[in-house]
Amino acid sequence: MPACSTSVPAPGAPHVLEADGIQLKFGNRVLLSDVYLRVQTGQVVGLLGRNGCGKSTLLQTVFGARPVADASVRVNGRRVVPAYRQPGLLNYLPQVPLLPPRLTLTAAAQLLRVDAAAALSDFPELLAQLNRPVEELSSGTVRLAEVLLLLHADTQFTLLDEPFTGVMPVHTEVLAEVMRRVKPRKGLLLTDHRYEEVLALCDAVYLLHDGRLELLANPRQGLRDRGYISG
Amino acid sequence: MEFAAYRRVVGLFYRRLLPLTSLGSGLILGSAVMFGNWPLPLNASVVLMKLSTFPLIWYIGQRTWPDQHWFYCNLHLAQWQLWAPLVVVDTVGFAMLVGLIHQLAT
Repeated sequence: MPACSTSVPAPGAPHVLEADGIQLKFGNRVLLSDVYLRVQTGQVVGLLGRNGCGKSTLLQTVFGARPVADASVRVNGRRVVPAYRQPGLLNYLPQVPLLPPRLTLTAAAQLLRVDAAAALSDFPELLAQLNRPVEELSSGTVRLAEVLLLLHADTQFTLLDEPFTGVMPVHTEVLAEVMRRVKPRKGLLLTDHRYEEVLALCDAVYLLHDGRLELLANPRQGLRDRGYISG
Repeated sequence: MEFAAYRRVVGLFYRRLLPLTSLGSGLILGSAVMFGNWPLPLNASVVLMKLSTFPLIWYIGQRTWPDQHWFYCNLHLAQWQLWAPLVVVDTVGFAMLVGLIHQLAT
C-alpha cells in the first residue's frame, strides 16, 4: 500500500477521499458552490460537465494546488490541505502537458518512483521511447505516458483531467483496461469529454452544472435527460 | 523524498530558470561597467541587488511557463522548496563570480 500518513481505515476497508465546502467565484460568476465529492479506493469516479463549468478548478482544489478558503479535503475523515504535500496520498494529471520537455520518460519515472518498464508494458511502442526526451515525442504519446506513470505511482488516489485527450482510440481501450486493473488499489477521479469511455469505466458519476455538483443515480439516463448525450 | 532525488529535482528546476537568473546577474555586472563601478566590490549591497532580481525572475517564470509547477506538485514539493535552494545557489554562485572578478582585476 502507498506510504501515506493519513489515518488508517479498518483492515479491508477502503480509503475515502472527500471534498466539500468548496466555493469559488470569478467576478460575479459563481463557479463552484454547494460541492460535495467522495471517492474511495477501488472506485473510478467520473466528473462530467460542459466546457468552463469548473471541473479542472475542482480537481486542482482537491489536489491542493489551488488554495480556496474554507475548502475541506479529507482522507478517512482527516483534513489534508494541501493534499499534494502528503507523499503517497494522491497525484494529478492536469489538462496541460505535465512532464518537463527535456526529461526522458525513464528520468520522469524515476522521480515519480515508478517502474517505467512495468508502467508502460501494455504499450510496447512506448517502451522503445523510454530514453528519448519528452520534447521529441508526439503529444499523444506523451499524454499516454503521463497517464500511465501517474496510474502506476504509489498513491492512494489519482486525479485525471482529460486523460484520453490526444490518445488514439485503440490506445484508449487499453488505457481504460489499465485503469480497471489499478482500481483495486487506488481511487480514480477523472474528467473527460469522451462520455462513452467515461461511463463505461465509472462506478459513480458526478455532474457539475451551474456550480453545483450532483451525483447521478442513473448516469446514462441523467445525462440524456439533461441533453449531455443523445439517443 | 531522498536528498539525491531532491537535488536532482532542484537541478531540473534551476536549469529551466538559469537563462533568467544569468540575465539578472549580467544586468548587475553590466550596470557596474556602465556606471564606472568596475570591478564590482563584493559587499552587502551587491548581494541585495542580486536578491532583488528574484521576484522579477519568479514573475517572468510564472508568465513564461505557467504550468511547470504541476510536475513538482506531483513530487509533493511546495514552491518554496524549489525556490529556496535556487536563490541560495544562484546568489552564492554570483557572489563567487563577483569576488573572483574583483581579485583578478585588482
